[in-house]
Amino acid sequence: MLMTHVLDLQIGDRIVTLMAALVLVLQIAMVAQRWIVIHIRIFAAQSFFLAMIAATIAWFNHAPHLYVAAALTLVVKVVLVPVLFERLVKRMGIHEEIEPIVNGPLSVVIAGGLTLVGYVVAESFYRPGEPGLGHNALAVAISLFLIGFFTMINRRKALTQVLALLSLENGLFLAAISLTYGMPMIVELGIFFDVLVAAMVLGILVYRIRETFESVDVSRLRRLRG
Amino acid sequence: MTELFLSGIVVWLAGAMASLALWRQPSAARRVGCGTALGGSLLVLVGSAAAIFSGSSAGISLPFGNPVFSWAIRLDPLSAYFNVTLAALAAAVSLYSFGYLRAMEGRRNLGAFGFFFNLLLLSLALVFSASNAFFFLVAWEVMALMSYCLISFEHEKKGTRNAGVLFLIMSHAGTGLLLIAFLVLASASGSLDFSSFHLLASRLTPLQQGTVFLLFLFGFGVKAGLVPVHIWLPKAHPVAPSNVSALMSGIVIKTGIYGMARVFFDFYGPPPLWMGTLVLGLGVASALLGVLYALMENDLKRLLAWSSIENIGIILMGFGAALMFRSLGYANLAALALIAALYHTFNHTMFKGLLFLGAGSVVQATHTRNMERMGGLIRHMPVTALCFLVGAVAISGLPPLNGFVSEWLTYQALLAGFGTTHSLTRLMFPIAGSLLALTAALAAACFVKAFAIPFLALPRSEEAADAQEVSFPMRTGMAVLALGCVALGLGATWFVRVFDPITQQALGVRASSALVTARGLALSPGTAHGGTISTVGIALFFLLAGAAFALPLAMRWRRRSVSGPAWDCGLPGLTDDNEYTATAFSKPLRMIFSALYRPRREIQAEYEVSPYYPSAIRFESEIEPTFEKHLYDPLRQWIMAVANRMKGIQAGSINLYLAYIFITLILLLLFGVRA
Repeated sequence: MLMTHVLDLQIGDRIVTLMAALVLVLQIAMVAQRWIVIHIRIFAAQSFFLAMIAATIAWFNHAPHLYVAAALTLVVKVVLVPVLFERLVKRMGIHEEIEPIVNGPLSVVIAGGLTLVGYVVAESFYRPGEPGLGHNALAVAISLFLIGFFTMINRRKALTQVLALLSLENGLFLAAISLTYGMPMIVELGIFFDVLVAAMVLGILVYRIRETFESVDVSRLRRLRG
Repeated sequence: MTELFLSGIVVWLAGAMASLALWRQPSAARRVGCGTALGGSLLVLVGSAAAIFSGSSAGISLPFGNPVFSWAIRLDPLSAYFNVTLAALAAAVSLYSFGYLRAMEGRRNLGAFGFFFNLLLLSLALVFSASNAFFFLVAWEVMALMSYCLISFEHEKKGTRNAGVLFLIMSHAGTGLLLIAFLVLASASGSLDFSSFHLLASRLTPLQQGTVFLLFLFGFGVKAGLVPVHIWLPKAHPVAPSNVSALMSGIVIKTGIYGMARVFFDFYGPPPLWMGTLVLGLGVASALLGVLYALMENDLKRLLAWSSIENIGIILMGFGAALMFRSLGYANLAALALIAALYHTFNHTMFKGLLFLGAGSVVQATHTRNMERMGGLIRHMPVTALCFLVGAVAISGLPPLNGFVSEWLTYQALLAGFGTTHSLTRLMFPIAGSLLALTAALAAACFVKAFAIPFLALPRSEEAADAQEVSFPMRTGMAVLALGCVALGLGATWFVRVFDPITQQALGVRASSALVTARGLALSPGTAHGGTISTVGIALFFLLAGAAFALPLAMRWRRRSVSGPAWDCGLPGLTDDNEYTATAFSKPLRMIFSALYRPRREIQAEYEVSPYYPSAIRFESEIEPTFEKHLYDPLRQWIMAVANRMKGIQAGSINLYLAYIFITLILLLLFGVRA
């Protein structure tokens, strides 16, 4: 009985690590992506895997409230936010490519470097022998956060910056569930509500920026400087 | 007692909200704002006065808060004493404001004024009674903000706005120093409660001890108007509405004094000798420079503001002497010096509040602050003149009023200090004592000018000639403070008992019984060569001597009195052009102290026929603002240069700002990993 349980945990750990790797790959793909609609869909896919990670942890560690978190991730990040953003893109008639500040190949190299930083930082949190998910998940979480941040810097359009912010938030979510097997329910609910509101507010804001400046290029905000 | 105190606070809070809600009805807002200010003051006055004598330091903690930042209030004797000072002044100023604000009805937002005014009183009471460093700093900042709003109340004038901003900048810089000092103490004690700071500072390393001391001295010094961090005070106090000036000079600067008393005599044990010497030296400098600049002012309210710096200097001389005696181990002398300083604090609140209210009445009647355009007001405004005279006599340190008692006590403490040590520092005492005497004499000259130029002789302008006596509430407010000055002078032997609980708590000594002699009629410092005075005796002597001179005069007056015109040197009648001007009055001192003032004057005469018959003469005279020119201007230029160089990083680009945050984050993460 105990044996199968430990075995279960090991299997669970492997599944989580595999999916975390997929999430990381998608994050790097997002860095290099040039088309905005595909960018949104990659984000949806990444969020889908994140929801799967939450469900896996819930299954193998008997933390039923994580199912709720997984379900919420599915509803909010995989369905609601991408649909909202694609409608926004259509309404504003954005067809052009993303023009990053640092070009694609170099961005990927930087993202690789940030992944390295993520592993270095996560290493200091890892205590061998302690139960818990391997340090891979945490390292991936920190890398997601850093790469998301870098993507925000690297984008000129407000909409793509919002997407980067949301992927950064995915990193935070992964860190939370991999370290604690899920925070108290109320905290998670709060976070999802936050993400939804942020997405809506930012969506409206992006629309306003476009109306005022006839572009969503944030470098035009420079004019606001006194 | 604590309940009464807290109910006063609640009344102020309710008054602030109510007068803000009534802002559309100026008259109602004025009545509610001033009424609650008055009611709250009386409650706090009674509650705090009872707390001094009860001896217990009742504490209470408001129910919201957390273990680190508790909203704790404690009315120990020192807190209660300053609250009494606050409430006594606030009651009189509130009375005065009933009349003073009526002239503003319809022109200014009196609802907002009532809000700021009540909240200022509230925050002052909390500053004086908070017993948690965090709570203290919150109250301190609310006080600074409310002061700023009230100083800038007449904000359409550019000078007012500039003065307000200068006040805010210096006040924040001072709070920054305090914050560092409190954090050092808190890290040593592990708590933010004042009770955990008791005698804590003396257990720090000497370097920390000295640094914390300097941080507190200058952090509180900014608010008190200590030289050289005083420059905001003569600019900000005069531009405020006069009832606010009275509060600012009367009690807001005393928060700095309270803070110093709390730190020096509660957080520190017997300090190293250099601390007391430094405070004494800065006190002497403040007193002397304050009165010297006051003498040169022709702006009545600015003169009073400079004189506040002088009085803060006198109070700090008392503190400095008390600290030195404490280091040398003379607890009784330390108690004497501390009593002198705290007594002077109360006295200054009374007479400076009175003088600012008087100046406010004069300014309201003549529409100018320039003394050269006043004159002869005693005939139109006799009550104001009498009250102002009482204040002027008290602040000049003349017997039998209150200023005399506290300055005399300070003087006695300084003289007693000469025999306490054999090191060179003992020379500090007689030097400080003689400079205090010089200060008092110069202050007397200054207030001869401040009373005589506006009130005596002929009016110098049409406004002064048409001046009207102010309304009844304003006269009542001034009269209350004038009576306070007389009572604190004549009742000195009774009043010194108030200090027993304070000195007991701070120094472990009850000094009043040693001070009072001659069956409670006279004061004596109880030192080897100390003098003895009795204000009641002096007052009686003045009355008898006055009667002895006046009676025969009055009898002869009735028999043969002839009135005729004054001798006018053969000129065609005396006009206000023949009068002694304020500038001329201070000319001798401007010449004596020209090394300090560096006066500049310019005379341009226009003539048509011969230089002996000028048709017009333009005269300009000004003195050099030493501290602004040699200390603050270089500092300002340096800050501007640094700021200009740093402007480069403010590109206005979101991506760049994100990059700053990102790089900081990465560096912090790597730093955390390494450590």
